[in-house]
Amino acid sequence: MMFQKPNSKQLADVEILAPIQSVVASEDNVETIVGPSVNVEGDFASEGNIIVKGSVAGSVHTSRHLAVEFGAKIMANVRAGSAQVAGEVRGNMKVKESLELLSTARVTGDIEAKTLVIEAGALLFGKVMMPGLEESKPKSTRGGFGKKSEEIAAVV
Amino acid sequence: MYVYIYDNFLRNKKFESAIKAIEVRLTDYGIAGKILRLNNYTDAKPVIDDEIKRGAKTIVIVGNDETFGHVLSRAATCECVFGFLPIGPNNTIANVLGISVGVEACDVLSRRRKEKLDVGWMNNRYFISQLHVLPAKVEVIYDERFKAYANDKMEVVVCNLQPFYWKKDSKSREQYVVHPQDRKLEAFLRPLTKKGWFGYKYEEPSIFPFEEMEISSREPFTVEADGKISKEIKVKIKLAHGKIEMIVGRNRKF
Repeated sequence: MMFQKPNSKQLADVEILAPIQSVVASEDNVETIVGPSVNVEGDFASEGNIIVKGSVAGSVHTSRHLAVEFGAKIMANVRAGSAQVAGEVRGNMKVKESLELLSTARVTGDIEAKTLVIEAGALLFGKVMMPGLEESKPKSTRGGFGKKSEEIAAVV
Repeated sequence: MYVYIYDNFLRNKKFESAIKAIEVRLTDYGIAGKILRLNNYTDAKPVIDDEIKRGAKTIVIVGNDETFGHVLSRAATCECVFGFLPIGPNNTIANVLGISVGVEACDVLSRRRKEKLDVGWMNNRYFISQLHVLPAKVEVIYDERFKAYANDKMEVVVCNLQPFYWKKDSKSREQYVVHPQDRKLEAFLRPLTKKGWFGYKYEEPSIFPFEEMEISSREPFTVEADGKISKEIKVKIKLAHGKIEMIVGRNRKF
């Protein structure tokens, strides 16, 4: 059984699988590149990875990876699956998975990410929100006593 | 029934042996057929329509990239299956379709593995290989959502089947090739910048996959699509899905 020759049906299955894999690989590699001398304005969205080397104004959206290279400028709100920033971003960033700010990154705006990596030298001005750790508020037991205890606390 | 459309350049004696070898192989496979010769001023569409009325089921283009674009840009709407036998130099599309240059192409033709190809549509005409906008101060609007522009002149190349080659930088010897085979057209934008005394220099290209695009400018710019050159102020480019049924090889790039 171990050394049986593969029959024609098995060979056909392998043949069918091979082209599907190549199509999937090409979809993963689809990239949008904004070159250094190109300016983009508007609702900039892509299904694949985005590499920004120039300037973008408006909004940026991708479900995959966004790379902002050194010298690039984004004056827009950003939504991405994951991101790596080495340039300037003026706008809020909402990243599903990991956000990496390299040493030359300059981010002005609120950021939200699952994982955050900030290299020494990166500059960030804004709020940082990460899931898993929320601000906890003190519980009050009864309305009347609760209010009095708050007043006493304020006086003290 | 097979009909073969030969390009004019194949009359040259240096292609005689290649053509003879191909004709013998086609006869061996039993797929030899009527031969028609294309001239520079021949419109392929009425010729192909006539042959289809006479019973032709497969139209085979024999030539190079220029022949391929010249015939299919005019005959994209014809109701038949197309084949391709690449001969001679300037054959880059054949590799994309998985067809070898020369006699081996007949093996691919005999297997009749068919695929529906997407075609680019530009201002009431089709282009199959590549559309080229010569450097001009243009603005590009993608899918009616965002626009891209450069500070000075910009060259735009929209690829369908013909791959686009450019060098990564002046020092690199290898050319970086992109094969756009992902059910979208891909636009390559190359801005030009003035560098001192030496005139214009090409910057690194931008790549934008898209389905619909509009190129506009205040002054007329030159557009070349599959060998046809025109001057336009506004160009609308769309992707027409599955317009052409083509016989392709196993090693195709899509």
